[in-house]
Amino acid sequence: MTPGVPPRLPLASQRLVVVTGKGGVGKTTVTAALAHAATAGGRRVLAVEVGRGPLGLLLGGTRLGSAPMRVTAGLAAASLEPEVLLGDFVEGVLRFRILARRLLESTSFQVLAAAAPGLGEFLVLHRLLGWVEARRRGRPVYDLVVVDAPASGHSLPLLAAPHTLGALARLGPVAELLARIQRLIADPGATLVCVVTTPEELAVRETVELHRELAGRLGLAVAPPIVNALPRRRFTAGDAAALDRLEAASGPHPYLRAARFQLERRRQADAQLTALRRALGAAPVRLPFLFGAPDAPAGVAALAAELARAAGLAA
Amino acid sequence: MSSLADALESRRIILCVGSGGVGKTTTAAALAVEAARRGRRTAVLTVDPSHRLKDALGLSALAGRPSRVSLAGIGARGAHLDALLLDVKRTFDELVRTLATTPEQARAVLENRLYQNLSGTLAGTAEYMAVEQVYRLAAEGGYDLLVVDTPPARHAVDFLDAPRRLANLLDSRAFAILKNPTSILPAAGSRLAQLLLAAVLRGLERFTGIGLVREVGEFVGLIEVMTGALRERVRAVGALLTSDRTMPLLVTAPEPRLVAETEALVRALGAIGLSIQGIVVNRALARATFGRGAPDPGLPDGVPGALAARLAASYRELRALGARQEATLAPLVESARAPVLAEVPLLATDPGSLADLAAIARHLFPGSGRAAAVGV
Repeated sequence: MTPGVPPRLPLASQRLVVVTGKGGVGKTTVTAALAHAATAGGRRVLAVEVGRGPLGLLLGGTRLGSAPMRVTAGLAAASLEPEVLLGDFVEGVLRFRILARRLLESTSFQVLAAAAPGLGEFLVLHRLLGWVEARRRGRPVYDLVVVDAPASGHSLPLLAAPHTLGALARLGPVAELLARIQRLIADPGATLVCVVTTPEELAVRETVELHRELAGRLGLAVAPPIVNALPRRRFTAGDAAALDRLEAASGPHPYLRAARFQLERRRQADAQLTALRRALGAAPVRLPFLFGAPDAPAGVAALAAELARAAGLAA
Repeated sequence: MSSLADALESRRIILCVGSGGVGKTTTAAALAVEAARRGRRTAVLTVDPSHRLKDALGLSALAGRPSRVSLAGIGARGAHLDALLLDVKRTFDELVRTLATTPEQARAVLENRLYQNLSGTLAGTAEYMAVEQVYRLAAEGGYDLLVVDTPPARHAVDFLDAPRRLANLLDSRAFAILKNPTSILPAAGSRLAQLLLAAVLRGLERFTGIGLVREVGEFVGLIEVMTGALRERVRAVGALLTSDRTMPLLVTAPEPRLVAETEALVRALGAIGLSIQGIVVNRALARATFGRGAPDPGLPDGVPGALAARLAASYRELRALGARQEATLAPLVESARAPVLAEVPLLATDPGSLADLAAIARHLFPGSGRAAAVGV
């Protein structure tokens, strides 16, 4: 890290990092890489996915459950299923386990869950708060909780839940909990939201909208966007002329075809990077496109090293 | 043989299903352009097109209204193609107006605060409204063929299963209980569950301080008068989706993340009586050039030294990608249990014009003898 230059991804002191983005941009891969980067930087990390996804696979084949389990030294992981949380919550309110089960099996309850705006989101945030606040022998159990949040469309309700519900529940234990959750996620020194994108038009457009909602309307601390799967700059504009000459001389050739494709893809990606920087005024964090398997352990490790650099963490 | 060309001729609806980010919208648009070019009166219903595609289809106008796409520029002057954007809110509002017995009743529902909040979240209504819009178009639009780009649902199947789930919801006791939570109906067998629900609702209200139950009750009461007609409607929509005039087409790409997602999708579709009848593979590298069995021709002659190393490296990268794609595609096709009907190459640029769509269509219909889009 260059002295005096603040890291673009302030992961060193954060307590909660929420990762979101359009579906299919590599959100979960980036979550896994962030978790590894922070762990390598000496922090005790808990990586969490909302819903059943591939996070466990990316972290090395662990099947995740609702209780955190150890992945490597300094890294634990868990999977949060809103339906399971709902069950726990109802059991807590009702106190009779068998009756609660019976109730949860009926379609009736699904109606209630759907009708209570933000209930599922509240339960997820509540559990995250518990992990952030957990302490053992006077110090936090986890220095950092990294969350693979639902894709854009669903992550906004998640982060807006304290607002939405706060307007409805003004008194009582839930109101008090909501205030605590809100204090955590609105504290720029504690919580950071990361939006992941690819250098493609649709994903970039969604990223700009989401970034503005999160930073503007909800007033949250949002990191510079993380651009994933950026094609490397293998060829310069000057090479293009050389490729033309070669093609004219020897006709179509697989090597030239490959080169031309890479040149064009990078040109397109650059246009999207420019659009992103212009819209948000922040230089994005860049992660390379991996031609091998990006979701194999080696791929995740390569991305983790890039992220550690952006975070100013020694990896 | 079942081919895409046959599908364009004989089906009423082609449903493009698949994960997000695989080019479903583009594939749907290209299929629709080709169908219209072949003389079918066609509409394409899209969900989230890129700006460029939107411009190409002339979709800058109002969502939900068909906009006529002129294909004169690609040499199909008389072709009939309409494009529409999915509009959940508007479809829901129109449905309420259709089913209400009086305009006053419709207005009361549309103005209810909970209707406004819940119309998007209540147990899959957003997905149902997408299907409802398809049904409306099929029944009243006067089209030969509808090409549908399914919305990016949490599970793709939510969209297709929406009619059944909404019907179940209407039939559920919860509806009656929500309407009046304190009335415990003496229905056989389920009395315990109902008692519990009432208890939990009261408990939740006390615990959360949210005056939820009463408001939901009012909303349910308002729309209950419409449920008979809605139930009929939902049944008809479900029947249309599962009829043999509808073809579920899997749009996918040879990417590792999609294998598990496709397996889950196929299983979920099977559970509701739908099976994938064909696969379109997007973003595929040309196997003859970059696949595992392709020969390495070595550097072309006369390449200067500095460029040679980079040319070789970039070629190696695409070979690695080609190998990864082949390894991914086999299990993907196996889990879909349907034939690959077409492969579209990885294109360097996003399609942004009707000419681009027509070029993609040439990959989907390779027999037509016209030049296809240049990919890798």
